[in-house]
Amino acid sequence: MLFLIGIFILHISAIVLLLVATIDNAWWVTDTMRTDIWARWDQINGVWNYTDLPTGSDYPQDYLQAVQATSVLACIFSIIAALVFLAQLFTLPKGHRFTIAGAFQLLACLFIMIAASIYTNRFHVNEKQGNYGHSYILAWIAFGLTFFSSITYFVLRKKSA
Amino acid sequence: MLAVLVSLVSLGIVAQQCQAIVIYTGWERHALVGSDIRLSCSFFSWRWTSEDVTFSWTYRPDGSRDSISIFHYTGGEAYLDNKGPFKDRLEFVGNPGRRDGSILIKNLEFTDNGTFTCDAKNPPDIVGRPSSVRLLVFEKVPIQAGVITGAIIGVVLGLLVLIVVIYYLMRFLVARRVFSLNVSKHGKKKKEGSQQRQLWTPPPLTCYPLP
Repeated sequence: MLFLIGIFILHISAIVLLLVATIDNAWWVTDTMRTDIWARWDQINGVWNYTDLPTGSDYPQDYLQAVQATSVLACIFSIIAALVFLAQLFTLPKGHRFTIAGAFQLLACLFIMIAASIYTNRFHVNEKQGNYGHSYILAWIAFGLTFFSSITYFVLRKKSA
Repeated sequence: MLAVLVSLVSLGIVAQQCQAIVIYTGWERHALVGSDIRLSCSFFSWRWTSEDVTFSWTYRPDGSRDSISIFHYTGGEAYLDNKGPFKDRLEFVGNPGRRDGSILIKNLEFTDNGTFTCDAKNPPDIVGRPSSVRLLVFEKVPIQAGVITGAIIGVVLGLLVLIVVIYYLMRFLVARRVFSLNVSKHGKKKKEGSQQRQLWTPPPLTCYPLP
């Protein structure tokens, strides 16, 4: 019982990390600028201003949209995996594994890996100032958590109703 | 009561006839340099399309405050720009009888960026606001925001739904096939059994007491 709660908490924390990584604007930060995969915040005279991401060779539009799409899909699949896990908890016959929940969680892991990899490879390659923000780091941590979560779903067997 | 209704209906008709002509063009048009673009203009009017219907297009370059007239259709004749920036590049592709006053601009240049205004008049319905369309000429058509994002998300979720539907459909079809096979097998057995009973009558039963 405790084990089950632990696994569910792991899954929920993975979902939370994925959502924060997708929504919060801290993929790349400098002292006066914060940016993520959607838009950019510049601090001018102490006031934060919201601007669009610059278009051009620094920010290839098609790769940016691919990062947006795959990180959103990772969140969606992780949430579906949580719901499927709850459903399978009550409907799975004894001795079976939570394969479908594990499959969805593995897909979510794959998608967030694609998103973070494209971002690492294509953006901020020649930038002199700034460093990766907490959303970016959380995306990679979420990758690890979803991976472990999906492995446990593939290994775990249902004991009793 | 009837008088009130009649007066209301007539007021409605009169109000409709007093409405202005409404002109429709696009809002913004994107095009590649060197290509052709069709600027459409049509109108809505409560009157029949008169023979004196007129269409006129004016052009205001980006950053300028002056408009220049580039096209005028009146009295069944179309008059195209023969001195201005669109000399030999304009063509009238509209159908005034069908309330269409569209023009075609050929071989676009970067200097064609600007606002095109269409004004149509359908006598006696002449009160109306001209409508403007903004033309943007690009070297390479930019990717509109969110198109690729939406496409990727849509395709993946669509595949997921498709796989689930196919899985349940297969299960349903297989179950139905197995069910129908069982039913036909039982049906055949019953028929053979009844025929045999008609050909062969069982011998009379004699009961022996059990030891």
